[in-house]
Amino acid sequence: MNKEAPGMPMRQWLFAMPALVLVTVFIAAPYLTIVLMSVRSPSNVQIYGPGFTLQNYLRIVTDPLYLGLLTDTLLYALVTAAVCLLLAYPTALHLARTKSRLRGLLFAAVLSPLLTGVVIRCFGWIVLLATQGLVNDGLRALGLGPVPFLYRPVGVIVALVHVFLPFMILPIMNAVEAIDPRLEEAARTLGASPATVFRRVIVPLSMPGVQSGVILVFVLAASAYVIPMLIGGGRVQTMATVIVQQLLGGFLWPFGAALALVLSAAVVLALVGFTFLTRRAMRRLA
Amino acid sequence: MSRLTIRELGKFYADNAAVAGFDLDVAQGEFVSLLGPSGCGKTTTLRCVAGLEVPSSGRISFDTQDVTQLPPERRNIGMVFQSYALFPHMTVAENVGFGLEMRGLGRTAARTKVDAVIDMVQLGGLHGRHPRQLSGGQQQRVALARALVIEPALLLLDEPLANLDAKLRDEMRFFIRALQQRVGITTLYVTHDQAEAMIMSDRIVVMFAGRAHQIGSPQDIYFRPMTREVADFIGQSNLFAGRVIGREEGRFVVETTIGRMRCEARPGTAVGSRGHVMVRPEAIRLVPQADGRMGRITQRNFLGNVIDYRVTLPNGTVVSAQGIGGEAREADEEVGLLIDESKAWLLP
Repeated sequence: MNKEAPGMPMRQWLFAMPALVLVTVFIAAPYLTIVLMSVRSPSNVQIYGPGFTLQNYLRIVTDPLYLGLLTDTLLYALVTAAVCLLLAYPTALHLARTKSRLRGLLFAAVLSPLLTGVVIRCFGWIVLLATQGLVNDGLRALGLGPVPFLYRPVGVIVALVHVFLPFMILPIMNAVEAIDPRLEEAARTLGASPATVFRRVIVPLSMPGVQSGVILVFVLAASAYVIPMLIGGGRVQTMATVIVQQLLGGFLWPFGAALALVLSAAVVLALVGFTFLTRRAMRRLA
Repeated sequence: MSRLTIRELGKFYADNAAVAGFDLDVAQGEFVSLLGPSGCGKTTTLRCVAGLEVPSSGRISFDTQDVTQLPPERRNIGMVFQSYALFPHMTVAENVGFGLEMRGLGRTAARTKVDAVIDMVQLGGLHGRHPRQLSGGQQQRVALARALVIEPALLLLDEPLANLDAKLRDEMRFFIRALQQRVGITTLYVTHDQAEAMIMSDRIVVMFAGRAHQIGSPQDIYFRPMTREVADFIGQSNLFAGRVIGREEGRFVVETTIGRMRCEARPGTAVGSRGHVMVRPEAIRLVPQADGRMGRITQRNFLGNVIDYRVTLPNGTVVSAQGIGGEAREADEEVGLLIDESKAWLLP
């Protein structure tokens, strides 16, 4: 078997080639152009002017407008992820453990937000959330409304939660499905109530699913553009909407690129912090 | 430690009965096995005792307390699962200590007990390991320790040795039995392995299709089975159809397909009744001279310590016989059959 060994690395490289080309062309190269773009100076006649500069980044970190925008964006994403988690966990638990014949139907219902185009879905929410819409009619009937949803962060978050919910439910469902039901039974025979079993066995063992769900939803929500654009109606600004304004409205491609990179960096930092926090939480739960 | 009493236990699903009309008394400190093929209701019975299944009918009591309606966490039982069901996110010590924690035991008191029981199952020094870092046998012992440390009223084991390799399984049989006797805990053990049940149990319950066919000592079950199913399931047996024609010196005389035999039978067996005479292969010796029953060896299987023979009689009946490895006979040899009638038993 050792005779084969010298040839192996070469062959392995060959097998890795398609993936490598794909990653280089579609991920590394675009990022590289954005990085290069972000250190250019703006120009009125071309996409960017001559020479290199850090002016774009300086402007972002010194102008409180952009830092505020960044915090808002991350905050909306965080709230979206948190609300998704609260709604998704019971659903995932039920889907993972149910023996109902309707399981397939429930599964389709979970995926249904992804079956509609984002623009159509947004107009649906606009109709529902408008001051004269169905939701506010209901709230008025209960004496609670009307609540202004549209053109506010709350409306944007409602629509974000709706579409990203499947990305939270599916990983948690997978994680719960992987938990041997015998573990719950063993805990019961050892004297644990169903609530304690949930807290000491189900929650810690489903943490990998929670972690991936939160990361997925957070990343998707932080970079969402169409929903804040349509539901926010220009009055809710996020990094994504402002970046597009810079590119299309202001024709400031270098500045837009810098904003995009700052958003990416902030999201990556937030994720690193989150993994660190949950790792500690997981250890404590164990 | 308690007595276990099961009365008229039934568990019915939509269209079939997993367990029906099941009665059992387990004395304090006794080791009782539920033995039967898969799907015979032995695991369902155990799960009803554990409280993991709700019986459709009947009553289960520990000592004088009726526990039929109690959830598992209020029954004070220790259970070992086939898959061990160790908590993968906890260390050995945390797994073992879980039941004590649920009982609100203080940290230091719990640690003393956990250490003692971990030593008892010979896992000293492995406190900080996670289950995935242990071998199958070690995981098995952690599961035992976790079930025993809470000093339960009852120890329930569901095929705990099924996932171990043959050699380790042999070791663990003796280990579990010795531990059970040392602790003196009332134990209910589920297995489909008759040798396991024989070696470990004070008494065995043989189950088929949700019903207990026989409850008795390993000797009873082996030598005096109550039904043909029991005789078939436990060890090998030759069954010869026949009719009781009289009694002689406390034995029953039976005219069978291979001639007249004197054997024992369950009390109340009537002269004139029909049945089958059961003779275990090891109760038949192959001899050179004929004593009236002659046959030809048609098959010979060498098993090491014993040799399995199939002997075909002139009337076509095939008889299983067993000889010890030393005195081998050749296939196709003409032999005489010497049947030890003191070990023959009449089945209904």
